[in-house]
Amino acid sequence: MSAPQDRTATANLTYDELAGLKADRELVLLIGPAHPGSGHMKIKVWMDGDIIQRVDPDIGFVHRTTEKLSENRLYIKAIPIVERVMLPDTINANLAYVIALERLLGIEPTPRAQYLRTLTSEINRITSHLYGIGLYGIFLGSSTVYMWAFADREPLIDLIEEISGARITYSYIIPGGVRWDLPAGFKERAETVLQYMEARLKDYGKIWVRNPVVMDRTEGVGVVSKSDAIRLGITGPNLRASGVDYDTRRAKPYAAYPNLDFEVPTFSEGDCYARLLQRVEEIEQSIRIIRQVLKDIPDGRIISDDIYSKMNPLQKRMYEMKHRVMFPAYMASMRPAAGRSTASVEAGRGEIFFYLVSNGDKVPFRFRWVTPSFLNLPFFTHVMVGQHLADLPAIYGSSDYFPPEADR
Amino acid sequence: MIQILSLLMSVSLVSFIEYILPPILYIIVFPGLIVVLLMLFFMIWLERKVAAKTQLRFGPLYVSKRFGGVIQTVADLIRFSFQEFIIPAGADVFAYIQAPGLLMAFGLLPLIFIPVGPYYANIFPANYSLLIVVPLIIITPIYVILLGWASDNKFSFVGSMREAFLVISYEIPLILSILSMILLYGSVNAINGVSFQIGRGIPGIVLNPIAAFLFLVVMIRTTGRFPFEISEAESEVVMGPYTEYSALFFGIGMSLPYIELYSFSLLFSVLFLGGWWPIVPSAAAASGVVGGLLLPGLVVFIKALIVMAFLVFLRAVYPRYRIDQAITVGWDQAVYLGFAAVALSMALVWSGLV
Repeated sequence: MSAPQDRTATANLTYDELAGLKADRELVLLIGPAHPGSGHMKIKVWMDGDIIQRVDPDIGFVHRTTEKLSENRLYIKAIPIVERVMLPDTINANLAYVIALERLLGIEPTPRAQYLRTLTSEINRITSHLYGIGLYGIFLGSSTVYMWAFADREPLIDLIEEISGARITYSYIIPGGVRWDLPAGFKERAETVLQYMEARLKDYGKIWVRNPVVMDRTEGVGVVSKSDAIRLGITGPNLRASGVDYDTRRAKPYAAYPNLDFEVPTFSEGDCYARLLQRVEEIEQSIRIIRQVLKDIPDGRIISDDIYSKMNPLQKRMYEMKHRVMFPAYMASMRPAAGRSTASVEAGRGEIFFYLVSNGDKVPFRFRWVTPSFLNLPFFTHVMVGQHLADLPAIYGSSDYFPPEADR
Repeated sequence: MIQILSLLMSVSLVSFIEYILPPILYIIVFPGLIVVLLMLFFMIWLERKVAAKTQLRFGPLYVSKRFGGVIQTVADLIRFSFQEFIIPAGADVFAYIQAPGLLMAFGLLPLIFIPVGPYYANIFPANYSLLIVVPLIIITPIYVILLGWASDNKFSFVGSMREAFLVISYEIPLILSILSMILLYGSVNAINGVSFQIGRGIPGIVLNPIAAFLFLVVMIRTTGRFPFEISEAESEVVMGPYTEYSALFFGIGMSLPYIELYSFSLLFSVLFLGGWWPIVPSAAAASGVVGGLLLPGLVVFIKALIVMAFLVFLRAVYPRYRIDQAITVGWDQAVYLGFAAVALSMALVWSGLV
């Protein structure tokens, strides 16, 4: 039940030292990359009995060279690339990149576009959290919550499909605004979905969040203290579940968040159960934000005047008729002035950081981004030591770690 | 020669029906092999279907769509039959091959000694049935441990060690639970137990609910149902002891918990649910195959099915416990409950209430 106190005693030993120390007792398990509980990564675990002595996560199995690919393409073509690595949460990757690009170009999106960005971002945050909750279910052995969470992503995905025309990879946000406007009757349908989601959260509470077995498995397991969370550089819901009140939406406001009234839930326990509750609470806050966005959304263009003025007459007519942005030729030949820009966005799993350097060419000189799952990785080696083997999936699942996102 | 022939002649049709047919029926049909096989198909299908209904999906559907995919398990069996049976290079081949067979044999053996009718004693020695059934049930996991050891795989090893720990932890509660019922019924013959329940008109689950609950918990544990699906926990140890197995041998590993579940449920309905009550065949019906054997057996079987359906439904409700939590429950609360059950039985017997 309780973790041994001497968790630092063996943590810093090399493998050889550890092998000499406990040669007859030790078991080295390779969990992954082809293991039902590992995802696309390998976790090398040194065990003494059932207690984990040392953990070495080995990542990179799904590295997709997004940075190098993007440095060899037009600026606009990086949007689909950054989306591909974080499939449950594509809008936020898209948004982070576009904000960095807009800062490089010096253009500002219109207020309506800002609200639409916030709307899609929050819908994606809910789907991302549902994805995380569902996978946590399969890690702890509850196939029910897994099926429920994945099924309940569908109404939200349908909702965002109405706006963007795609289910997962939307490529919805472009420099200067967004590509499509809200369809007619969207607000009513969205309200239906939000009410459904609220009712479902109550069901999740019954079968998953307040399930006695779940509470036994997660409470007091994988505790990250507040200072450790800051020291290890953990981000997103995992950070807030350790009691740190930090949210990029509030700390470095972007899109329409400065105009919106929402809370940033935090928990002080820092254990797996707190991380689970954190996600449920954030879904509730996202529902609140979506309601506000739909109520307050201003009228106007969804694309900034900079881009609109560069459209040809046919494209302008198309925009006036269908509120649909067709790419002006400018998009294919954007040459931002030499300089550098950064952008931070609160994605479902934490803060995405973008760093773009332009030397005035058609392609970025340097394209660098850090994804939340990568930042959450040190957490594994820190927390799993001293826990039971069975706690490994409990901790892994609670961190909502997504290997493709970390590998980029 | 003539003597042998005349002996054969004397085995008339009547004596065939009276003496030879019933044991064959018991072994082959009921509660024996054919029913076990059908029960396996049905129960695995039911588990998947019920879980699917809870989880907002269809479950097995496309094999025999008109009947809700009920023969999906048969299709799976055929698939298992045609798979290649792979023996890992480092495996202990003899143990690796024989363990699933022994596992199956010892999984099926308890079925012979669980009486499913009042005249079972005429056919099989049932005087010490409970004393035989308990060790037979407990011995099965030893071959699970052998499976894991023979596979030469770390996950198999961890899984089989988990199984070993859990078996040891839950043996005492199981024995205490059955012991309390033996004390109550005053006999190690399960038939006497049922006639005790029918005679008093009170099922054992009402007489000693603690023992019934404890037996249920041990049943969930031993058959690896959720929330005690620990030695095969997929996200931790892949498939536990069965990780390296393939083809039909893997199918045996998959179906064994259901066979164990079946024998446990039969025992549960005999010990706690009044056995073949409300059907109490008269002595005249004893020799009748239908009235004396099949009908009481059917009642016990239906009761066992309901128990099994409840247990397989737990999959949709609970995730799994951690091994140390399960072991703690086994050595701590479950043992206390076991002593409480024994004490309750002794109190009932001494006070003369039953």
